[in-house]
Amino acid sequence: MPLESRGRPNGRPLSKNARLAGVFLRLGLTLLALVLLGGCASGPVLEPQRLASLSTRQQQLTEVPFYAQRDYQCGPATLAMMLEASGQPASVDALIPQVFLPDREGSVQPEMLSTVRRHGRIPFVIPGDFHALLAELDAGHPVAVMQNLALPAFPMWHYAVAIGYDLPARQLTLHSGTRRAQQTAFERFDATWARADRWAFVALPPGQLPASLAADGLLQPISDFERTAGSRQALPAWQAAVERYPDHAMLRFALGNAFYASDDRSNATQAFREAVARDPGLAEAWLNLGLLLAERAPDEAQEALEKAASVDGPWRQQARQAIKMLEIRALDIETR
Amino acid sequence: MQRLARFLSPLLIASLILGSIPAAFASSVPLVGTADALQAASASQHRDQIRQVLARDDVQRQLLAQGVSPAEVNARVAALSDAEARQMAEQLDNLPAGASSALGVLFAVFIILLITDILGLTDVFPFTR
Repeated sequence: MPLESRGRPNGRPLSKNARLAGVFLRLGLTLLALVLLGGCASGPVLEPQRLASLSTRQQQLTEVPFYAQRDYQCGPATLAMMLEASGQPASVDALIPQVFLPDREGSVQPEMLSTVRRHGRIPFVIPGDFHALLAELDAGHPVAVMQNLALPAFPMWHYAVAIGYDLPARQLTLHSGTRRAQQTAFERFDATWARADRWAFVALPPGQLPASLAADGLLQPISDFERTAGSRQALPAWQAAVERYPDHAMLRFALGNAFYASDDRSNATQAFREAVARDPGLAEAWLNLGLLLAERAPDEAQEALEKAASVDGPWRQQARQAIKMLEIRALDIETR
Repeated sequence: MQRLARFLSPLLIASLILGSIPAAFASSVPLVGTADALQAASASQHRDQIRQVLARDDVQRQLLAQGVSPAEVNARVAALSDAEARQMAEQLDNLPAGASSALGVLFAVFIILLITDILGLTDVFPFTR
């Protein structure tokens, strides 16, 4: 058989065999790829009604600066782009010692977030779905994304900044690695993003909120920021959150605490009142209200503390103690 | 000296008591902080608090071992939220570290990635598009 095919000058059967072999090879490799990918290959599922809520079909945040990464430093480069875009001057060189792990030759997710905090911006991890990503871009927020550019078996972890989308062309624009404003097909991007659990965050100045998070999702990120940056810094973030979700009691409670820590007692009292008006079962707000009113309005304080003590939970003990202290103080004043 | 003390200490005690009574009630009883309230929503907070203190020490040690300069370590640990500190302490070695460099992949892997790149499933080699 091999002799036969070798002898023919026109080589028709050979080319046929080769074509067949090629087809098998391609089939085999595709199957291998699918096995390796473990079903991550399908593109993002985009729902028409959710796409309709986007204000524009094409968005490019051209004002986001580009910093090319050097060596393994896509983490610091990504942070520099995110911080600069949020109005906070940053340099890759200054960020490297803050976020880079020399022995790992890379940067890990928790430190990407904590470094944003160190620079006076609030990191919000957004929901891991394509619509959230598009919604943030639509709102004008560049999005830092984590990708596994290679395969689960031999990962190549990478951070990049999404700066735009084009729905008709189904393309995402990324500042990535050494490539500025690189166009990537939705499918290819989503495959690499999905392999990093679709992790992404926005970095915003206090007072600006992500487009893709509900009220409950704002509490922890702002609270984490408040603990490192201080209440005065966090106050505008709580104010913006209460403005967007005026009926959320816990946000009002948090706003009250930020006011109190910024020495604004009257606004703090007001915020705690608004919190319990919206959720009468919010013991911690009753408790704080009672403690704040203890000096100026002991009767109202007593009432608030009793409300706090009536809720079975972690604050009952503290509320009872406060009531006792209030009684002792009242006795004290009488005997003086 | 002792006579002076006998004379002074009741005065001091009295002034301390009197001084503390008009002091702000709220300042003697701390308000419930937002972070504490959020944490209380998840049970077993005392155990959590102890674990968090330990976690931060642990992270500090791990960062130093990973080659972070001692001058930077404290600030880096301080910027972590409690949950992040715990995550770092418990699984730093398993956390993906974004780095992205195509160097050092084996030839077989190179071929596979080349093909998956051409198929549009991966994004390793810019020349495939």
